[in-house]
Amino acid sequence: MLNTDSMTPAERGAAIANGEEVDRLPCNPNIANGVARVYGCKISEFNHNSKTIAEAQMAAYRKFGCDSLRIFTDLFTWAEAMGATVTFPNDATADLAKPAILGIEDIDILQPADPYKDGRLPVHLDAMKYLRDLAKDEIKCSAGIVGPFTNAFFLIGVNETLRLLHKNPEAVHKLCRISLETCKAYAKAVLDIGLNPTISEPMSSCTVISPKVFREFSLPYMKELIDFIKDYDGTKVVVHICGKTDKIWKDVANLGIGGMSIDNVASLKDCKLAIGNRTKILGNVDPASIMYLGTPQDVRIKTLESILDAYDSPKGYVVMSGCSLPVETPLENIQMMMDTVREVGYPVDPERVAEILKRYNK
Amino acid sequence: MMNKEELLKVLSECVVEMEDEKVIGMAEEYIQSGYPAIDGIMQGLVDGMNKVADLYENEEYFIPELLICSDAMYNGLDVLRPYLEKSDSQQQCKVVIGVVEGDTHDLGKNLVKIMLESAGYELIDLGRDVPPVDFINVVKEKDASVVALSTLMSTATSNMKRVVELLVKEGMRDSVKVIIGGGPTSPEFAKKIGADGYSKNAVEAVKLVNRLMGT
Repeated sequence: MLNTDSMTPAERGAAIANGEEVDRLPCNPNIANGVARVYGCKISEFNHNSKTIAEAQMAAYRKFGCDSLRIFTDLFTWAEAMGATVTFPNDATADLAKPAILGIEDIDILQPADPYKDGRLPVHLDAMKYLRDLAKDEIKCSAGIVGPFTNAFFLIGVNETLRLLHKNPEAVHKLCRISLETCKAYAKAVLDIGLNPTISEPMSSCTVISPKVFREFSLPYMKELIDFIKDYDGTKVVVHICGKTDKIWKDVANLGIGGMSIDNVASLKDCKLAIGNRTKILGNVDPASIMYLGTPQDVRIKTLESILDAYDSPKGYVVMSGCSLPVETPLENIQMMMDTVREVGYPVDPERVAEILKRYNK
Repeated sequence: MMNKEELLKVLSECVVEMEDEKVIGMAEEYIQSGYPAIDGIMQGLVDGMNKVADLYENEEYFIPELLICSDAMYNGLDVLRPYLEKSDSQQQCKVVIGVVEGDTHDLGKNLVKIMLESAGYELIDLGRDVPPVDFINVVKEKDASVVALSTLMSTATSNMKRVVELLVKEGMRDSVKVIIGGGPTSPEFAKKIGADGYSKNAVEAVKLVNRLMGT
């Protein structure tokens, strides 16, 4: 299908915000490091080459016309900048090899990262500048930040942090506090470049911790980061939390966010009913079994179902995958997600969508 | 002094209540009182872990609680295991387990390992970030009946598929059962990559392996 978009993502976003007509719903397949496959480079080039990070993002935009470009290569960039060791496979996503410290006795040696100096953070900041200049006013780009609570896990190790939640809560607060300082410094650098920060908080998921633990250890720091960004220039951030999140939606919406992005195990319909009148919702086609392993037909059906579930969410809806796509996700599946959103058009006519769905479901 | 029933109850409670230090003393007292290690494990520690599994199912316990409870179970096991009679540990089938390459989150894998071990299986743990070919080599070498793959990262799921493909290529697919689990996976995903089963948590994993092994 041809790219029938008659608006740029920036125009579309602005028009929706003003309650005006647009050509289609916004759509973010969430391609992540898979942009390397579109651009034709090794993922390891993202570790040091700012220009490649930006150009690969841009290549994905040129190919698919997606509504989001984001500088974000892995979860460990901030922990690495604070002393963690990360492995860099030749053509796969970076991974945590060793946390920054080995025990709570070393907590006091941790320092907040300097985004202009430490680890790969300067590479990412430079990539943002390249991307901003490439994208011009066509698309407002964003920069991912791992939230303070999740980053704390990578400073001392995931299992150790899980134990400390019960054995030494004060230590976890200390780790979150210092993570927060890193997050704030990075967010400020992002805003100074002119991109929108987005927050990923996978460890805050109800699949990992209880809502009670979330409220005690993650929420206060997430709030402080979101308030900091809001106070700096009024930007409202989109928050993504993987896995189950239904029990904490309201807590997050209360922070005054720009959007809540949910995983495929959460229900878009329930999310809409719970917080749709307060914030935009984004999601949630299954990244593994549909986007990566499904046929284009599966992608079409699930995308249509998602649209039916959430198109009428009062504060807006963005068609998205539930989480970052696996690198080898077939490009035709990504294309199909975009094409389906184009076929549905705007305003969304639920009866027509149901009819299309019926036709393809046969 | 506590009698056997009371001690078993305390062992179970230590696991449920996350008493990973107290459990050591209680397990020692249990052994010193002359009671059989196997009962202490099955009716004490494992009974506690089963209750923990229920609490997890009911969303009263989450991963941090599950982890500390399993620490308590392991600490108790370390005390009781040396006192097991030979006949207590029967020959069981071997399970090769690991987190696939591209991911270092091994907590879910560890919990599955604990539950399968407490159900009597022999576990060969390859750790985390394991290249697909390593699974194949170890299955071959150890003549394992089950290979259990885990990941928390959507970006690493492709390596699960790779393991199945390699088993097919090596002509080993029919002699080994493949089970998968972890956040981004699902029963549909398992079916699509040609795995034999999916379990959504460590408790279900035991039921799944039992079913696949016909025990």
